[in-house]
Amino acid sequence: MREVAESTTSDLRSNLDPAFGEVQELDRVAEAALYAATVLLEAGVRAKLVHEDCSRIARALGAEHVELGSGYASFEITIARGTSRITRMVEVGALGVNYQLSHAMRELAQRIGRGRNISAEALSEMTRIKRETGRHAPWVVALATGIACAAFGRLLGMDWSAFIPVLASGAIGQSVRHSLLRRGANVFVVAACVAFLASGLAELGAQWADSTTLHVAMIASVLLLVPGVPVLNAHYDILDGYPTLGTARAVFVGMILIFMTTGVLIAQMLVGLQQ
Amino acid sequence: MTVDLLHLLHQALFGGLAAVGFGILFNFGWRDLPWCAASGALALGTRTLGQEAGWSLEAASFVAAAAVGCAGQLLHARLGIGTNALAAAGCIPMVPGLYAAQAILGLYALTVPHPDDPAATALTTLQFTLRVAFTIGAIPTALSIATHLLPTRDRSSS
Repeated sequence: MREVAESTTSDLRSNLDPAFGEVQELDRVAEAALYAATVLLEAGVRAKLVHEDCSRIARALGAEHVELGSGYASFEITIARGTSRITRMVEVGALGVNYQLSHAMRELAQRIGRGRNISAEALSEMTRIKRETGRHAPWVVALATGIACAAFGRLLGMDWSAFIPVLASGAIGQSVRHSLLRRGANVFVVAACVAFLASGLAELGAQWADSTTLHVAMIASVLLLVPGVPVLNAHYDILDGYPTLGTARAVFVGMILIFMTTGVLIAQMLVGLQQ
Repeated sequence: MTVDLLHLLHQALFGGLAAVGFGILFNFGWRDLPWCAASGALALGTRTLGQEAGWSLEAASFVAAAAVGCAGQLLHARLGIGTNALAAAGCIPMVPGLYAAQAILGLYALTVPHPDDPAATALTTLQFTLRVAFTIGAIPTALSIATHLLPTRDRSSS
């Protein structure tokens, strides 16, 4: 009831004051552009492309002038049309990697850029994409991650005896990581815990399988934690002229590596393998 | 230069396998996974060839990433806006996680009360650290150079 009243008041005001209606429309454009930027950043897209797509969407929806600013945990936009100008900011959540979502959102941004659109329709289409883009089942991801760790081990010279133990410990590590992150645990603490668990299990398993490459097996089982995409994005962002975001990503990578190594070190001390 | 074909195939196979594993972790669709595998196999195959030719890990990684980047740009019409993401997925197995972990473990080893041969440990740690820094620098630099030297109609790939 109250919403209806507010909406009626707002409609009346925009009819009486065209500048107010213009600001309201710019608000909707900013909301759509910021939504796209948030989704893209959280899905692991580098800053330059997020800026390009965000700007493309805002212009296609009617903004004449667009300025953008990106931080590690926030994104700002200033848009103008005629004499009206607004600035809005949105908080960005944890930066992960989701290729299917980022790909679908970037395709939509390009489609929006090619035609005349209404901000409400654009926003509803973006919301639909985010809601409907699926992820692989957790057990598939865990198995694939285990296989990747074991393949990494082979690339690093690990013997065949340690292959299955590393595969299993990598898969278990990924399952535990998924479970802890879903419960909202701190990403760095999760890295240390998963590294401890996966490397400890890998070493015990590799010992049991008579492997002679225990050290490589321990490290290979935690390579799922090495943030490869943020490493590349940090470098890209600095190259593309976004040093603040690039540096923040690099610090994140460094912290993850420190926590990961701490987990491996504790496992080494407890299980007894000397470096 | 003699090439150990079996070793080359082994590295390419497991490079492709690692790239597919990480492709699933990064939520690539099933249709994109063969491209991830091809990208990883090309990256590791090229890097292995470079190392067998006597190049350093950093130089071989640079050339391998450039090869993957060039292949991606050439296939841009088919791959669309996902070109750079697929190239990056192929290069992920070249990120030197083992050396990064060993460098940090080396730093820990230097700070124990009575370290064994601290000079040798410090030197090894420094070598690992530099190797990580140069390799991590080489991969995206090569991918960027490939992207910029081989322009496509639409270069805005994720």
